[in-house]
Amino acid sequence: MSAVATQSLLGVQSLAVEYGRVRAVDGVDLQIGAGEILGLAGESGCGKSTVANAIMQILRPPAHIVEGSITFQGEDLTHKSTEELRKFRWRNVSMVFQSAMNALNPVMRVGDQFVDMMQAHESIAKRRATVRAGELLELVGMDRRLVQAYPHELSGGMRQRVIIAMALALSPELVILDEPTTALDVVVQREILQEVEALKRDFGFAVLFITHDLSLLLEFADRIAIMYAGEIVETGPAEQLASTPLHPYTQGLIQSFPPLTGPRARLTGIEGSPPDLRDMPSGCRFHPRCPHCLPENAALYLRQTTERPRLREITPGHSVACHLVDA
Amino acid sequence: MSALEVRDLSKNFAVGGALLHRAHVHAVEDVSFSLRPGTITALVGESGSGKSTVARIIAKLYDPTSGSVVFDGGDIARVRNRRDVLRYRSQVQMIFQDPFGSLNPVKTVRHHIERPLRIHRIVPSSQIDDRVHELLRTVGLVPPEEVAAKYPHELSGGQRQRVAIARALAVEPKVVLADEPTSMLDVSIRIGILNLMLELKEQHEIAFLYVTHDLASARYLADDILVMYAGQIVERGPIERVLAEPLHPYTRLLLASVHGERIEERHGRSSAAVDPAEGCRFVTRCPIAVPVCRQVTPGLVEARPGQSARCHVTAPSAD
Amino acid sequence: MAQLDPTAFDLRVTAPRRGARLGRIRVPGWLALLLRNPKSRTGILIVAFMVLIALIAPLISVAHPNDFSLIDARQAPSWHHLFGTTDQGSDVFSQVVVGARRSLLLGAMAGAIATVLAAVLGITAAYMGGLADEGINLLTNVFLTIPPIPLLVVVSAYLKARGMIAMAVVIALVLWAFEARILRGQALSLRNRDFVLAAKSAGESTWRIIFGEVMPNMISRIAAAFVLVFYIALLVDAGLEFLGLGDMGATSWGVTVYWAQVNSTVLQGEWWPFIFPSLALGITVLGLVLVLTGIDEVSNPRLRVERKRGRLSVLLFGRAAA
Repeated sequence: MSAVATQSLLGVQSLAVEYGRVRAVDGVDLQIGAGEILGLAGESGCGKSTVANAIMQILRPPAHIVEGSITFQGEDLTHKSTEELRKFRWRNVSMVFQSAMNALNPVMRVGDQFVDMMQAHESIAKRRATVRAGELLELVGMDRRLVQAYPHELSGGMRQRVIIAMALALSPELVILDEPTTALDVVVQREILQEVEALKRDFGFAVLFITHDLSLLLEFADRIAIMYAGEIVETGPAEQLASTPLHPYTQGLIQSFPPLTGPRARLTGIEGSPPDLRDMPSGCRFHPRCPHCLPENAALYLRQTTERPRLREITPGHSVACHLVDA
Repeated sequence: MSALEVRDLSKNFAVGGALLHRAHVHAVEDVSFSLRPGTITALVGESGSGKSTVARIIAKLYDPTSGSVVFDGGDIARVRNRRDVLRYRSQVQMIFQDPFGSLNPVKTVRHHIERPLRIHRIVPSSQIDDRVHELLRTVGLVPPEEVAAKYPHELSGGQRQRVAIARALAVEPKVVLADEPTSMLDVSIRIGILNLMLELKEQHEIAFLYVTHDLASARYLADDILVMYAGQIVERGPIERVLAEPLHPYTRLLLASVHGERIEERHGRSSAAVDPAEGCRFVTRCPIAVPVCRQVTPGLVEARPGQSARCHVTAPSAD
Repeated sequence: MAQLDPTAFDLRVTAPRRGARLGRIRVPGWLALLLRNPKSRTGILIVAFMVLIALIAPLISVAHPNDFSLIDARQAPSWHHLFGTTDQGSDVFSQVVVGARRSLLLGAMAGAIATVLAAVLGITAAYMGGLADEGINLLTNVFLTIPPIPLLVVVSAYLKARGMIAMAVVIALVLWAFEARILRGQALSLRNRDFVLAAKSAGESTWRIIFGEVMPNMISRIAAAFVLVFYIALLVDAGLEFLGLGDMGATSWGVTVYWAQVNSTVLQGEWWPFIFPSLALGITVLGLVLVLTGIDEVSNPRLRVERKRGRLSVLLFGRAAA
């Protein structure tokens, strides 16, 4: 584990994204240092994919950024022109989507898609680009001859490797993985994540790893940020979150993974379900589901139901947004 | 005493290929097991292993190519007449994976739970509403009157899955086939659904078949485990024993992946079940394969009391 | 056209919307959606207007449409004859409003017959598969390969009774196959959905699944089919009449235009017996086409756009359903 990265590669400050009257992301702060793996965990509707789309500046209307800024290597992305953004995407930051079939053109050979992508960013002859595509496929553990294949001829795991290779083609500084292995079998998932780790060691890019599977992050990430209902509720080094999670939601999430070893005890998970974005609970958004939000503790209860908790640093590097911790 | 028994079940699908040269996927091959009342049997495998196909054959949504599904003394797979099929369906129910897809978007919750009650005449018409509400309470959806009037899109994924469970329970089944009921739900709500299944098993003595690719939830729920690979059962036994000391290399690979251990990559034919050759189907990915593995298909051998595996190396047959 | 592509519909989210409020009136969800879309709102208003005209036709037509009156022949539009008179002295306005009845009835009949045929056969073929599917597909293909216009021309040339019902049936028989294929496509994509399997697993009979579970999910596509056949029927019927092959004794837009053309009235500068019926036809068809675009939106929520209330629309219609 490298020392804490001093210069921040990507910074997200007070980001808010709305579509219609709904705030999908409401005041999110994130920092990713060079070469670090930041995990972003949360369940459906928490806004994590929206954050990724905002960083890549690929938000689909009517979603748009209403507040905050996104800085990459010091430059504010929201002020860039379309042309600058086009260059920025893929060269500086690239993205791996959940379903490769969303990213791959089903009627084009894999190699040609690489060529297209490379030629969009630099002038390179088709032959050279195809060779490079083959090299990239080997990099992710595939036979280079598969540049000739069509996406449907490959298995799910192989397709995912293809889009990882495409994401690395221009040697970006940051790779965003948005649920990259959720649709895959557990064995293939492990293979691919091992692959990504190895590539990261060799090439030194930073990773924003977005997933609902906290257990993966506890293993792979350097730091983790937990998102709930559009906000970051806890953030800190992976080991600390694993050993001393501070936010009840994080605790509940960790409690939701049945253990493979040890005693078979009944788990409780988390009651209720994530809130509808159009109908957000007042005060702390997690309070309806929080086992520590009880009317008996009148003063605390009042704060929990009326005041939104702010993210506060408790120990160095470990912050949480929770009234219980402040109390 | 088994509630339902599956014997030598096989299912082939014809796929693509040229007109005279169609390939066949041996989705399920020689699968046998039994489901006992008040127990949960986990059927574990990756996608393409055939586990969902097995469940659907038992649910009588597909016909098997060969083999039998024995229920109540008879082979239900061969039965065609409506009355017997209906009787079977009142005893064996299925819960599907996709909470968004398994409910009809233009029908209310009440409709979904009412239909089985009416079709099988579980209660007289006058009591249907009450029974619907009771079932909703059983699965934790309260207040039942409000929930019953809602449409699926007005419910969350977890709530929809509970409706699906209520629907399955309406007929008071002896066997429930749960096909990956939590894999499309948020992590924090999965436990709720799993706990519900545990309660139902305990209170109603239902025999569950829990189809999943997730070993951890299988361990949480199940008493016995069946591991499937490329259409065949490769290991079976009490779940604690199998997970603690797995025999088959595939089971070991699964466990290693889930435990977060480094695994060696061996890219096997992902289509091992298409027109399979003689020999072990796992051979291309197996770290301990020996020459006989390519020549002879291993049989399921009880290597330890109650635990069987299909492997020449770890569970060699006596001869 | 979106309605030609059965996969364009995101069936997953075609859920019934709770009725919205239009002022104090409860409006069913689908109607609210159709009214919210400015295009289909216009379409509905146009069609409603034409239906109204057709309903009150006997009250507003000043004279019997086929009354001859040589004295009044060939008169330009005036207060006496709002749309002028034909060369025989018949009041064009009366012919247009009474003709609306025939057109709308014929369109609705043809639409209904074709849609019922297409829905029942298409969905049954999709759900049952096997021989039933093969048989119905054969039937559909036979009807599809028959060129519709020549068939219609030939049939109406031979048909002794060219009454409205006969025409409606003939048009329906020509058009149903096209829709059947589309509906079959959509039903095929529904048939393997888990809720259909769940219904089967619950013990539902095949017919109940087809009509009770699958078809209700296809309402908007079936409605679209109905509207499509409706307006095509209008055009075809008018076209046949214009060629002199329709029911030439009836009072209808096409017949009025036919006589106008045969008597070369336009050449003589008498545009009114030509223009007014054509306008009526055109506006009705336009209205139906606009409604069709709204139905697309109802069935494919991805096409729905959050609409800002334009000031004009707020003026005209107030604050419509939220």
